[in-house]
Amino acid sequence: MNIDYHALLPEFILAGTILLVLVVDVFLPERAKWFAMPIGLIGVVGSLAGVLSLIGAGTRESFGGTYVVDEFALLFKGFFLVTAVVVLALSLRYFREGGFYQGEYYFLLLTSFLGCVMMPSSRDLLLLFLALELVSAPGFLMAAFRKGDVKSNEAGVKFFIIGVLSTAVMLFGMSLIYGVTGGATKLAEIGVALDGVSGEMETLAFAAILFVVVGFAFKVSAVPFQFWAPDTYEGSPVPVAAFLAVASSVAGFAGLLQLMFVAFAGQHEFWVPIFAFLSIATMTVGNLVALQQTQVVRLLAYSGIAQSGYILLTFALVTDDAASNRNAFAAAVTYILIYGVMNLGAFAATVAVSRRHPTLGVADFAGLRETAPVIAVGMAVFMISLAGVPPTGGFWGKLLIFQAAIERGGTLGPALAVVMLVNSVASVFYYLVVPRQMFLRDAADPSRLRVPALVTAVVAVAMVTLVAIFVLPNVFARLAEISTLVGLGA
Amino acid sequence: MSAQEYAFTVLAVVGGLSAIAVVTARNVVHAALYLVVTLLSVGGVYLLLGAEFVAWVQILIYVGAIVILFLFGLMLTKAPIGRDTLDNQQRWLGALVGVGVFAGLVFLIQEAFPVQDAERFETFHATTDAVGESIFRNYVLPFEAVSFLLLAALIGAIVLARKDDAS
Repeated sequence: MNIDYHALLPEFILAGTILLVLVVDVFLPERAKWFAMPIGLIGVVGSLAGVLSLIGAGTRESFGGTYVVDEFALLFKGFFLVTAVVVLALSLRYFREGGFYQGEYYFLLLTSFLGCVMMPSSRDLLLLFLALELVSAPGFLMAAFRKGDVKSNEAGVKFFIIGVLSTAVMLFGMSLIYGVTGGATKLAEIGVALDGVSGEMETLAFAAILFVVVGFAFKVSAVPFQFWAPDTYEGSPVPVAAFLAVASSVAGFAGLLQLMFVAFAGQHEFWVPIFAFLSIATMTVGNLVALQQTQVVRLLAYSGIAQSGYILLTFALVTDDAASNRNAFAAAVTYILIYGVMNLGAFAATVAVSRRHPTLGVADFAGLRETAPVIAVGMAVFMISLAGVPPTGGFWGKLLIFQAAIERGGTLGPALAVVMLVNSVASVFYYLVVPRQMFLRDAADPSRLRVPALVTAVVAVAMVTLVAIFVLPNVFARLAEISTLVGLGA
Repeated sequence: MSAQEYAFTVLAVVGGLSAIAVVTARNVVHAALYLVVTLLSVGGVYLLLGAEFVAWVQILIYVGAIVILFLFGLMLTKAPIGRDTLDNQQRWLGALVGVGVFAGLVFLIQEAFPVQDAERFETFHATTDAVGESIFRNYVLPFEAVSFLLLAALIGAIVLARKDDAS
């Protein structure tokens, strides 16, 4: 039993920072409470340095193979930590001016990110479950942080009840898996054991897989398990909504990728139709309802649901052919990462506008080209990218999924590709609503919008990243290729 | 039937009935007390399986601490205690879904693990020794993750439940 301390360095640094934030907060006077944020930021950057120091160090296993640090894990850990930097940057002004409990907020936020960072390394059911809970549980609390607002209370309670229900369903499925496989908890062992079961035992295993998938479907807000998401995002503080829409949902996908491609890979004939249904329903319902939204956070929530549908599509492309699976996996990873960048950007722009217009109606974005030009251009790029139109990174993301679907062949692949194409075209209508307000309408109050420097920086960096991805798609393509190493041999 | 099987039948019936009573009880305090019975019979089942450490932990923590905290919580937060405070219009739909899922699972599990060959499942004797070794050796990381989870829950609950002077 040996522990690879270097491999655990990012987690150690983050865990230490979390405790430090909590202790320092006690000694800070009321007007200096915001100081928890720079401490957290330094810790997250330190943790990111830990991740960078592990690149190229090969695959490292700890705790008997239950905790693995490989390229897939490092890629996602890096993504989560960068997301943490962005969410921290968005939070500073918002929480400082809003009269919130700041120290406790940063503590909860970083704890959630600790769960995110653990998720892609967890190759054991128990650890995977706990990482997912570590992501969600602080999320329930943060969603209700606007204590005086009934909507925020509703957000917290709805998210909590749905979250607990999905957890219970998933945990029950996991316990059945444990029984069927005769006591396997490691994902690779489950993959081997499940290939050996047949008859009634296999039927029970299918039921167990269904339960686990339903549990995750709640987490990534797939239709018909999506109804909590718009209310929760709308009621939460905007930076928390950004966290939920990006980090929390990507963590769900990171877990789902490992489960489906490693543990349950052999049963794909059972679960591919489930994912095909989830994907089509999620894309279509998300896009149709988004067309009717007049509040920007709700619009982003439904757009996020539709985007989840595109990512779920890649799961429906799994076949017996390893090369085609690799394509699907690469498309999923690439899309998830690009989705993270464009969605974070869109939420950053929303945070900027929320200082003047807390209700965040679509009309509140009118005339932004004059009041905050950088934010307006950025928001336009994010919306175009979310719609999947060039010249942005979102275009490549969609193209990769589309390609993978066509290459899969059969009737399912092209059929899904067509559904996705129709949905993408429909989505252009609502994604262009916000740019139209920003560039074609005039603001009621033409004075300059004072945007915090950190928020402007986030918008600018995200915008440049998306355009850069479009110009240099090879960077991302290579990243995804590295990460396909994850257990496709099983 | 062996003595073990008799004991299991009694525990299962008592535990199952009181579990139904937990969700049908009109009074929250009664529901919490029915929960004690359910948790006790689960503890009894652990004992029958030879997992005595888990059984005592179940009784100490769940019955001894958690349900008592429920009751304290109900009293301290002055939550509405009494009839009809927890009712809504969808109980029949809920019951239908519950019965459906229950029947389906009983069927599936019964097919996969038939009662006849219960003989081939031997009792695994999980001693305190083995449990401790397992937690602090292979499962030390999940153990630490749980401690962070509980700390976050504690802090967050205080923040949300605290009465603000300002607002």
